[in-house]
Amino acid sequence: MNNAPLSEAWISRLNVVQLVLAGILIMAPTAWMVLSSFKPSFEVTAYPPTLIFSPTAENYIQLMRTTPFFSYTINSLIVTLGSAGLGLLFGIPAAFAVSWTRISWPAILTLAARMAPGTLFLLPWYVMFRQVGMIGSYTALILSHAVITLPIVIWVLLPSFDNIPRSIFEAAQVDGCSVTRILWKIAMPLVGSGIAVAAILSFVFSWNYFLFALVLSNGDSKTLIAAAFNFVGEGSTQWGALMAAATLIALPPLTLAAIVQRWLVSGLTLGAVKG
Amino acid sequence: MVHAANAVTPDRQRAELAALSAPAVLFTLAMIAFPVIYTIWLGFHSFSSTGRQSFVGLGNYSKLIADNEFWHGLWVTIALYVLSLALQLVLGIWLALLLFHAKRLPGFVRSLFISPFMMPPVVAGLMWLVILDPSLGAANYILQSIGLPPSEWLASPTWVIPTVALIDTWQWAPYVALIVLGGLQSLPPSVYEAAQIDGASPYTTFRRITLPLLLPTIVTATILRSVDLLRFFDIIYITTQGGPGNASNTLNIYGFRVGFEFFNIGYASALMLTLTAIVFGAVLAFNRLRGAVAW
Repeated sequence: MNNAPLSEAWISRLNVVQLVLAGILIMAPTAWMVLSSFKPSFEVTAYPPTLIFSPTAENYIQLMRTTPFFSYTINSLIVTLGSAGLGLLFGIPAAFAVSWTRISWPAILTLAARMAPGTLFLLPWYVMFRQVGMIGSYTALILSHAVITLPIVIWVLLPSFDNIPRSIFEAAQVDGCSVTRILWKIAMPLVGSGIAVAAILSFVFSWNYFLFALVLSNGDSKTLIAAAFNFVGEGSTQWGALMAAATLIALPPLTLAAIVQRWLVSGLTLGAVKG
Repeated sequence: MVHAANAVTPDRQRAELAALSAPAVLFTLAMIAFPVIYTIWLGFHSFSSTGRQSFVGLGNYSKLIADNEFWHGLWVTIALYVLSLALQLVLGIWLALLLFHAKRLPGFVRSLFISPFMMPPVVAGLMWLVILDPSLGAANYILQSIGLPPSEWLASPTWVIPTVALIDTWQWAPYVALIVLGGLQSLPPSVYEAAQIDGASPYTTFRRITLPLLLPTIVTATILRSVDLLRFFDIIYITTQGGPGNASNTLNIYGFRVGFEFFNIGYASALMLTLTAIVFGAVLAFNRLRGAVAW
């Protein structure tokens, strides 16, 4: 270790090189997708691939003209907002009760449900929803997607509720405040940012979820993600429109992710790591 | 206490707390517990093409043991799992260390580094489908321009599993990095200072101090990835649907197709229950390991 400062400078330079390499590997594919979506259709499939071109919106226009992209978007929004809302409605009080009582089985139950392969539930759901004529209904889609959102809400909020000093609740109780009132008037305002993160993560993962909508939606209620699967067959020769669809579908979750990136660690590990 | 009569009784409080978690519990029982019991029941039955059902006992399970496609699916699932997990842990830890030392990196750029897993897997599949196209894709152009032979990627029975593992690694190694980064940030700085005073090289510090202390975090990341990787579905269904031939037919894809393409709900139920047992077995095993490496 004779010239330590020099070797340290070397190490930091090496770090920068590696960071740039990692950045390229991570971002280039997405950048390529976005670039391709703005290429004139004949250039998307050009070989060798081109990097310089005059950007055009023709792929987006074609996508809107040849597919009911707008109504798929509405379907996705209804299912995503509905399931995120249901997850919050059931998840906030449950997380509060688990945090208060330290009886954790309700939280573990929802998490275990999340760990099983989706097809396990999809088989009986399909049989049951078909019997009551609910295949293709928003209700069936929202209920199925709430299975995704509920554990997210509970596990994101558990540490937030745990962090509130118990003395605050005890003081309120002495004043005759009921538990429900404490949740509504005291605890919820204190975990506002946690609720925002839970809402956003619920939105993202419900928006992104593929399997349930693949089977439980029909032509009228198809979500964007399920519709994207059909674009592959139809769009095999139309890469431009395909990449335009991919870009538009990825936009909402990526935007939201950028907003909450600071709080992602605790939210995404379902409380397994204290971030 | 003047208002003692106003204070909430313990019984009333317990009832209220139970009522608060009741909707979530009832919802989960209705949507998960009851359907899973129904799946177990379905697994003991066979369904004809006209929808008539008949009790077959363990027939679906003995069929499963004799089914080559099941064993092939199990092999594909495990191969994909081991390969993806190894890649994601190694690259995830690498990325976490890079981000940990790049303290001056703006938050916005940092979020770009970890963004891939927030993208819908279906979109990731579409995107890579175009990039990896055997004849017109950008990946083969890059390979050829640096003098390497082009690959058939997803269209090759040999390469489809490594290719799918690569796509999933692109998407989820950043997630592993995010978890490991959280672990790194919670390590006490004092251990590093001690190592520095002792003149330990960066490699020795990593090998002897950082890695052992990170082990619980790494096992956590392993558990979270195992749950997803063992039931691999989205990217395969969008890119190959189990093909070419049956080269990427994981158990989850196979079970889905048996159920919703061939409408053999009984056999599909038996397949999915078996896969669920595998997933939970892995989670329990890793959970014990986490207990063993905790500090």
